[in-house]
Amino acid sequence: MPTEAPDRLPDLQPRRLRFGLGSATTRLVALVFGVQILLSGTVLFYVYAATAREVERQERAVVTELRDDLLAGFRSGGQPVLARLIRSRLAAAHGETIATLVDADGRVVAGNLAAWPATVTLASSWRIIALYRLGADHAERMGVIAAALPDGGKLLAGRVVETNLKLVRINSEAILAALLAAVPLALLMALLLGRIVNSRLHAVSATAAAVASGDLSQRVPRDGSGDAFDTLAGAVNTMLARVETLVGELRIITDGLAHDLRSPLTRLKSTLERARSEIADPGALAALESVSTEADQVLAMLGTALQISRAEAGIGRDMFVDTNVDALVDDVVEVYGPVAEDQGVSLSVAPRHGMVGLRPLHRDLVQLALGNLVENALKYAEGATAITLAAEMAGDSLVLTVADNGPGIPADRREEAKQRFARLDPSRHIAGSGLGLALVEAVARLHGGTLVLADNTPGLRVVLTLER
Amino acid sequence: MSQKILLVEDDAATAAYIAKGLNEAGFTVDIAENGRDGLFMASDAGYDAVVLDRMLPGMDGMAVLAAMRAGGIETPVIVLSALGTADDRVAGLTAGSDDYLVKPFAFAELLARLRLLMRRKQGGPAVMTTLAAVDLEMDLLSRRVKRAGRTIVLQPREFRLLEYLLRHADQVVTRTMLLEGVWDYHFDPGTNVIDVHISRLRKKLDEGGMPPLLHTVRGAGYRLGLAD
Repeated sequence: MPTEAPDRLPDLQPRRLRFGLGSATTRLVALVFGVQILLSGTVLFYVYAATAREVERQERAVVTELRDDLLAGFRSGGQPVLARLIRSRLAAAHGETIATLVDADGRVVAGNLAAWPATVTLASSWRIIALYRLGADHAERMGVIAAALPDGGKLLAGRVVETNLKLVRINSEAILAALLAAVPLALLMALLLGRIVNSRLHAVSATAAAVASGDLSQRVPRDGSGDAFDTLAGAVNTMLARVETLVGELRIITDGLAHDLRSPLTRLKSTLERARSEIADPGALAALESVSTEADQVLAMLGTALQISRAEAGIGRDMFVDTNVDALVDDVVEVYGPVAEDQGVSLSVAPRHGMVGLRPLHRDLVQLALGNLVENALKYAEGATAITLAAEMAGDSLVLTVADNGPGIPADRREEAKQRFARLDPSRHIAGSGLGLALVEAVARLHGGTLVLADNTPGLRVVLTLER
Repeated sequence: MSQKILLVEDDAATAAYIAKGLNEAGFTVDIAENGRDGLFMASDAGYDAVVLDRMLPGMDGMAVLAAMRAGGIETPVIVLSALGTADDRVAGLTAGSDDYLVKPFAFAELLARLRLLMRRKQGGPAVMTTLAAVDLEMDLLSRRVKRAGRTIVLQPREFRLLEYLLRHADQVVTRTMLLEGVWDYHFDPGTNVIDVHISRLRKKLDEGGMPPLLHTVRGAGYRLGLAD
């Protein structure tokens, strides 16, 4: 059997709020997460930078002191004293001190570097460079300060900073680790926040969905905290109370209208009936007969219109009873079978792939809806030879189908066909109120379901989906 | 002695019309114009049936019914209502009415239902395995039907229909009574659905030139039995 995409219908089902991309919740979660990561990153970077700066400042202070000591030595005794001082300093130190003296010709007089480093000029103050010490097999990073001597020589004071740099690196690694640990925590917190927001909003949306499907007594639970969510719940509840009042008034009005219109019509009908039993003139009798038929038509339309309004308002949801769906479908075929046969149409139940069994339904209304659909098919599907009914489960939904092999309804006119008082037959030569499909759709909605007109290739397939 | 019926109806024209019809049908009718009087008169317990309008001034029809049933008055009650929805009917029946009729109704419908109610009250139907009328017999166990000894083969739907007619042999049965009684349908299918069922059944019953058993009662419904 060919299937086609059902007509798009507004989705009335309550659904959980989702973390979809681009949803407000996702954006909120992303924002919270981003802000937290940015904040922790900034703090950690500041700690890192401050530590590194402090370590360098201390190194620089030590080297500056060394230079000043050495320069003082030079001032007191010239090059020889300075050279001696350098040698003694280097001997006493723990191997981290750098000191080198070169004379005006550039020869090394004393110190632990093989030559004056080419990259260091007298203009350069504190800088960190990698150099080979005398006898060392690898370059080490050292902070150095150069100074010019009055005799034309040059002095380089410095300190190997390899260890301290390592410390800074370890420090930065620790900071990075802290940042990495902060990521999942921040994410967790952001998601938790998202969940809280979601669950609070879900209470509102679940209530709205329940009301939309007809249970007007539903209210959003309030926690009395007076926060934004609680205020929202209060506002929604006030609105729902108003809606419930209005629907209640509608019910009173429609019931009153039914009563007020039916009473005179009742009297009209009784008068007609009495007249028909007392009048013998065939002309007058025929006229009475026709008036009576018209009155019946008005009454039927009034009744159907009321039925639609009530079903649309969700009135009757408390009347659901467990109903044997298979038997219900069989009965429709049984009731309408002979009429169909007389029209040369075979009315049957489609081959079953299993029984549906009991389902809670508004039995009378579903029966009425199916009856209307079969009658519609008999009335409007000119040239049809078969009408097939089916009841099957699709997941949790009950799908009732009435299909014929008549001319069908063009796709662009199917929505129109479902409207109240809609009649596609332009000359209106076939009697009918135009309320049949509107009532069927109202019955579907009462059950939280939908009515879809589809192509039966050829013919019309009416699909009634009932949710509960 | 003729059977007594209490009519509780505030609309004078409707009340007069129903009373006139019931009188012509051989019943004695008392009319109460409001719920309070209606309840007071119904408490008398001398009535065979009560026809109760649902919307009444003073005391609502449903309240009258509830008070009657609470007071142990088991007189059969037919509720008349301008509220025609399925829910109202179910509510009426669960509140203790024996039948529910939506206005406007044909008088024949009310009469047929009243007669059915009062007969049901007289003799509760014993558990039966066979039903019979004139020369027609139905065996409910073997699900066989014979007329004057000749077996009639019926489809299940025809069997159900004939069973209902046999259970109410010699009474006028309306179309809506058949729809309710046989298929539990509480709306009018609008087309001549029942007429087609009946004419098919009639053809099978009267096959071979037998005298007709299933009669159409003009403006009312059908009757199974000998011709008047």
